[in-house]
Amino acid sequence: MTAMTAVQGEASGTGPFWRRPWRRPISQLTPVGQDERRPAGPRRSLRPWQRFRRAGWPYLFIAPFLVVFVAFSVYPMLFTLRLSFTRWHGTGLAQWVGLNNYAYLLTNPAFWASLKNSAALWLLVLPAQIVLALAIAVLLNNTALKLRGFYRVAAIVPFVTPLVAVAQIWVVLFDRDYGVINHILNLFGLPDVGWLVTSTWSKPTLALLFIWKTTGFIMIILLSGLQAIEPAFYEAATIDGAGRARQISAITLPLLRRTLMFAVVMQTLAVFQMFTEPYVVTEGGPYSSTTTAGLYLYNHINRADLGTGSANSFLLVIIMVGLSLVFVRLLRPKD
Amino acid sequence: MAVISTTAARRRLASQVGSHLFLAAVTAAFLAPVIWALLSAFKQPVAIIQRPLDLFGSGFTLVNYVRMFQDVPIGQGFFNTAIVLVIKGAITMLGAPLAAYGFAKYTFPGKPILFGAVMVTLMLPVIVLIIPLLLEMKELGWVGTYQALILPGSVDAFAIFWMRQVIAAVPDELLDAGRIDGCSEPGVFWRIVLPAIRPGLAGLGVLTIMNIYNDFVWPVVVASSSKMATLQVVLSTLAQNIAGHRISADYASVTGELLAASSIALIPLLVLFILLQKHFINGILAGSVKG
Amino acid sequence: MEHTTAKRLASAAGLVLAFSLATACGPPVTSTSESDSPTTSARTNPNRLQAPTDDSPSGEIIIWDRSGDLYEVFDAAIGKFNQKYPNITVRHEAVDIASKLRNTLITGTDVPDGVFLDDAYVAGYKDYLWDLSDVLGPYIDHIAPQKIGVNTIDGGIYGVPYDLDPGLLYYNEVALAEAGIDPNSIETYDDLLEAASRYKQYRPSAQPIHLEQGAWLGQLQLEMYANQLNTSMADADGNLRLDSAEYLRILTWLDGVSQQGLGTRAEYLSPSDIGYLESRDEVFYPWAIWFDYGPQAQLPETSGEWRAMELPAWQAGGARGGAMGGSSFILPKEGANSQLSWLFYEFLMFDEVGYTAVYGPNDVYPGGTNTSIPSYGPAADPAKPLFEPFAGLGYQDLWSVAVAAGQRIPGGNPTPTWWDGAVEYLGNNVQRMLDGDMTPQEVIDQSTADIQSNLIDRQ
Repeated sequence: MTAMTAVQGEASGTGPFWRRPWRRPISQLTPVGQDERRPAGPRRSLRPWQRFRRAGWPYLFIAPFLVVFVAFSVYPMLFTLRLSFTRWHGTGLAQWVGLNNYAYLLTNPAFWASLKNSAALWLLVLPAQIVLALAIAVLLNNTALKLRGFYRVAAIVPFVTPLVAVAQIWVVLFDRDYGVINHILNLFGLPDVGWLVTSTWSKPTLALLFIWKTTGFIMIILLSGLQAIEPAFYEAATIDGAGRARQISAITLPLLRRTLMFAVVMQTLAVFQMFTEPYVVTEGGPYSSTTTAGLYLYNHINRADLGTGSANSFLLVIIMVGLSLVFVRLLRPKD
Repeated sequence: MAVISTTAARRRLASQVGSHLFLAAVTAAFLAPVIWALLSAFKQPVAIIQRPLDLFGSGFTLVNYVRMFQDVPIGQGFFNTAIVLVIKGAITMLGAPLAAYGFAKYTFPGKPILFGAVMVTLMLPVIVLIIPLLLEMKELGWVGTYQALILPGSVDAFAIFWMRQVIAAVPDELLDAGRIDGCSEPGVFWRIVLPAIRPGLAGLGVLTIMNIYNDFVWPVVVASSSKMATLQVVLSTLAQNIAGHRISADYASVTGELLAASSIALIPLLVLFILLQKHFINGILAGSVKG
Repeated sequence: MEHTTAKRLASAAGLVLAFSLATACGPPVTSTSESDSPTTSARTNPNRLQAPTDDSPSGEIIIWDRSGDLYEVFDAAIGKFNQKYPNITVRHEAVDIASKLRNTLITGTDVPDGVFLDDAYVAGYKDYLWDLSDVLGPYIDHIAPQKIGVNTIDGGIYGVPYDLDPGLLYYNEVALAEAGIDPNSIETYDDLLEAASRYKQYRPSAQPIHLEQGAWLGQLQLEMYANQLNTSMADADGNLRLDSAEYLRILTWLDGVSQQGLGTRAEYLSPSDIGYLESRDEVFYPWAIWFDYGPQAQLPETSGEWRAMELPAWQAGGARGGAMGGSSFILPKEGANSQLSWLFYEFLMFDEVGYTAVYGPNDVYPGGTNTSIPSYGPAADPAKPLFEPFAGLGYQDLWSVAVAAGQRIPGGNPTPTWWDGAVEYLGNNVQRMLDGDMTPQEVIDQSTADIQSNLIDRQ
């Protein structure tokens, strides 16, 4: 018997009080005048403290989050919203400019280019990273494999390195003429690539940094999904003569679908929030080709154009909310 | 029969070798930059830039470490990071599961809006709130204090989202059994839910430590004096010269100092992860969406 | 949870919006633009710092420098300062100034008393800074006019000038001698082009002239060339003046170097750049004096082969002095002890003991700080060198060359408040030109339009 049916069974209000349905909407739980505890008593309203004892607990549990959320997210967001209608350079009076900042941004090719840069990074990161993480996870899920622990730790090492330092290492590794990467390319007879100095390659170089840094984490998430798949499925498939590739496409991927989507959503948010990587490695260049949405916003702030920066913040928030609505739909199970 | 098993064994061997080749290549790619940084920190500064591949030929030196300790308050950075880690970590580890419990196991008016709030917070890029949050800190008189480093983001939305998955998997019968035994609602959380989600909590713990330890954007902005600088702020002090416009003539020696500081910053997390990797992986196993 | 999250998000967003209509927070807002009243007389202007009158000033000052060589140089000079002012405690901090200064000034908390800042940024922080006109008064006539120019905005001076950074033509003397090229024959940029092309004939792999690939430094170098022609991006009223014969002349020349394959495109002293310099493929480096750190520390192969001379002129007999970069010290108004930090910088810059400590022999530069020269005339005395000749430049007398070049730098060209923001337009467009994607005239037209609409109009 599942928990749900247990609750439904109690909906009549019978049974000991501690089995009463905490998880039903309050409208069902405490209809005014129908106190379940006194079904036979006179009709009267619950006193506030009684009401609280019934329904107050979840609010109390959520309160710490709520306090932090209101104090450090809602309040600053209101601040931002108000600033976004002004021209303010951080000192003195702010000048009310109405929708001017929004109009400036929405008609500015650089604003749209920053969004496009983030979208391009997403395209460069997501498919490659998911495939790579999945490949490693599938191999590491094989309990017969030796050195699993070592490989697993190695994969997570990039995740724990300080980004500021790694970014610097990237600059040295990917130098056009003297970097290690081009040295290696030359060994295979390939020409030098201007990794950090051409707008063609700057995004892939940044994407590589992101992939290098976070693939281990995604791999572990996928590995956890794989470990939740019953080995019996594979055993049955082996008996039926299905090969490894067939097993992956017929069993692993379908059963891993929601874990995969979870990873995709997480990484999508991470890519669209990407700031430190371009800030440290390329400063948004060359030719603003790595000026991500976050970095473009930062540039306004750095220039003390706080009104425009605030309008930019709000537009980003709207885009991020829209984006996650799309993903919420994708994550919805097919019934 | 014997023939078949030999073929199967051979195929298994081939697949093992293939797996190892692939994993070894990937592992090399994962580890090489870190090893390069750790070893290069012991090279003469100029050699780091000029002969990046020559890791042993240019002589061993501690000059990068010596200069780094002279130039930047890395000890203070560790101290501040430790304080923030302990307090902010504790708030997250308590506040997030509590809120997650509320969201996972109760139905109450306003829940959709409140959970929507969690999702919105999850999606907000840090940078969006930097300036208003800073001005708020100014109004509160909190700039350059520990509470400014600790409180914003202390009940982390991602942690709630994550814990909600974990707690949702705890069977309701278990909670009801607790209520039968006379537990109050907080008692159910404390005595039943928390013990049941221990692996998930461990995973959350490791993730929280990593997030706080590597947090960069907000501390740089709000830690106004060097007394309040966290480890990452100290690193960024060094990185500025290099990542900036290289106007400083002293590019090489600052790179050396940065590598030395990064090595020191890297080691505690690495050790922690190696020690706790079982918990971390089991924790993620408990927390991520499955199936 | 998934099927209702969409609704939850929507309602949460609605909640935030609803709140915002009812709540007000933020800075006071006005519906009209307000500017400082220009009628305030100089004597009572509260924005002007005055020197302390105390006989024995005391207190603590917080001084920010960026990490690296100069931090250590200034750190070493603090001892000398304390011999003169024993009661002033200097808290000297290495700080990520680019990330922190703006935020610190906005919040007004833990504001430092003095900050080391690139000249290019000073104007952008003007609203937060002391006008130093009064305290600098006694020294002003002895300070390089170029430094006064870049620190002057709307009649006020907002930085204590630190270094003067004359542009010089660095060249590899040994490589040129092998090719039979006499550097003394290079008097104009056309001569330089000619010499470069002869060097390339001698050595076909050569790309003799450095062409900066970083947009920021490229713009700084462009301003050095412009400074030679006594112009800059904007005039004293803040109006753009890129669309001029001078800029067209400079950009056309740079474009020519690039088109004829006579330039090395690389970022300043990046691994690529170092490689070309060390292989003697890159032998001409028109740059600020601070390029000399390369031959001293980063170019072991060609160290000792490098020499410096004046920049070429844009036409025969034309001006050969131009400044590239440089830094000053700013004093935020909200600093707790601005008067004391003025004493600190006055000592370091204008007191003989102070500037000798900064420029003279120190741990980082055993022969003296030779990556710039003082901007204060009495300190930059041709007869009294503060730093010694060194091996990297073959013991050439760099002091004399640099001081002479420094004296010829024209003054009076202000730095616009939006200099840094202009890199995204002008700096990037120069790079596009060097890539072959834009013509010099297009660089001028496009940059003018973009800077006007994105920077000047949004002040």
